[in-house]
Amino acid sequence: MDTFLKEGRWSQALEQIKLWARLNSPWVIHFNSGSCNGCDIEILATLTPYYDVERFGIKLRGSPRHADVLICTGPVTRQARDRLRRIYEQMPDPKFVIAVGSCALSGGVFDGCYNVVGPIDAVIPVDVYVPGCPPRPEAIIDGVVQLLGKLQQGARP
Amino acid sequence: MLASLFALLIFPAGLFVLVNGLAYHWIDRKLVARLQNRVGPRWFQPAADMVKLLANEEVLPTGVDARLFTALPVVALAGALAAMIYLPIAGLPPLYNFPGDLIVAVYLLSLLTLCTGLAGAISKDRFSIIGATRALTQLFSYEAPFLLALLGPAFAAGSWQINEIMAYTSSQWLILTQPVGFVVALIGLMGKLEMAPFDTPEAETEIVAGAMTEYSGRGLALFLLGREVELVGGLTLIAAFYLGGINNPFDYALKTLVLLLGVAGVQTLMTRLRIDQVVGLWWRYGALLALGQWLLLLGQRMGT
Ligand code: SF4
Repeated sequence: MDTFLKEGRWSQALEQIKLWARLNSPWVIHFNSGSCNGCDIEILATLTPYYDVERFGIKLRGSPRHADVLICTGPVTRQARDRLRRIYEQMPDPKFVIAVGSCALSGGVFDGCYNVVGPIDAVIPVDVYVPGCPPRPEAIIDGVVQLLGKLQQGARP
Repeated sequence: MLASLFALLIFPAGLFVLVNGLAYHWIDRKLVARLQNRVGPRWFQPAADMVKLLANEEVLPTGVDARLFTALPVVALAGALAAMIYLPIAGLPPLYNFPGDLIVAVYLLSLLTLCTGLAGAISKDRFSIIGATRALTQLFSYEAPFLLALLGPAFAAGSWQINEIMAYTSSQWLILTQPVGFVVALIGLMGKLEMAPFDTPEAETEIVAGAMTEYSGRGLALFLLGREVELVGGLTLIAAFYLGGINNPFDYALKTLVLLLGVAGVQTLMTRLRIDQVVGLWWRYGALLALGQWLLLLGQRMGT
């Protein structure tokens, strides 16, 4: 009992509880920084009752202030760059980013366009990449699960 | 001293209603999910959400009054919890009572919406301001019919004290003699809690998250907890007044869960109303129906 109450043990237990809560309730926000809309339709399909991501605790929120995971689609256009950065800054810590679609990974078919800055990770740090043009909803769910696995192994706070 | 501390921190106005609120929130979400043919969230989902939000960073946006911004969620939750002292939570008689405590309890339950409106109004964000305007508009539309619907049983019992009304309703089911009041009260509760057909103030597809847009972490968690506490309080009040009173914990669980099932059904069936439709619904039908029933009761009383 004495050792349990010691600072180290106590804060360790608290960290465990926080990690458990974080793993079980990833709230997401979706941002399109210049995609062709194909990826966005797949993301919306992921959120429909057919795939029912609420059973994993995944919930789509409207405000970046409520979200933990930013799901980005498409290459970053010059116009969207500042908005993307601002939305990322508006999210409370700890925050994570999933890039969905080939364009988000590398620029895809839009690579080299006059108005395109580049892939998502040229602007903000990305934790998980989901390839595909567009990726299937199963792949997107798998992306979130991989992020949670990474979290569990203590990749980042 | 110790007894009142226990009452404030554990039962009825503390840990117990918080846990109860989380459980009812889960049941509500699960029922809605099952009605939509989904699997639905796991049983610890609301608890995990709360712990996560409490552990998250709380962003203080620039341009807001820091003291007010941090104090409002606390006041909202405290108001909702304070109302529990006067309600027969878990089927036990209310802890404190005095003549007219019904009015006090109803106004303490309204504090949450007032705080939500204020929280939206102090932010510089335009979505918050629209959300705040809608929240307050909705408050003005459902509050009067809701109060009238709760005054029906009070009028029939001839008292404005919750435990005296309960003593009267235990002997008869007022839902049979005042069905209109029951419906108005239940739908008024849904308006109070900003549930599905009345979720215009936080319509996420149009105004991001309404008045809550700028809140993150702790503030958001406290507001959501306040709403869950209010769900418990409102269901208790309606069950006690209209469904033959609640006299023991079993009675309490059964009656509030039946009400919750009805609430979840309405949530699944209806789509979001526009704010002008909400106001029109309440003032054109809700208030008039409640008032009509009230006049009927008055006439009946005069007659006998
Ligand atoms: S990856 Fe394919 S579907 Fe997605 S934005 Fe790029 S081109 Fe469109």
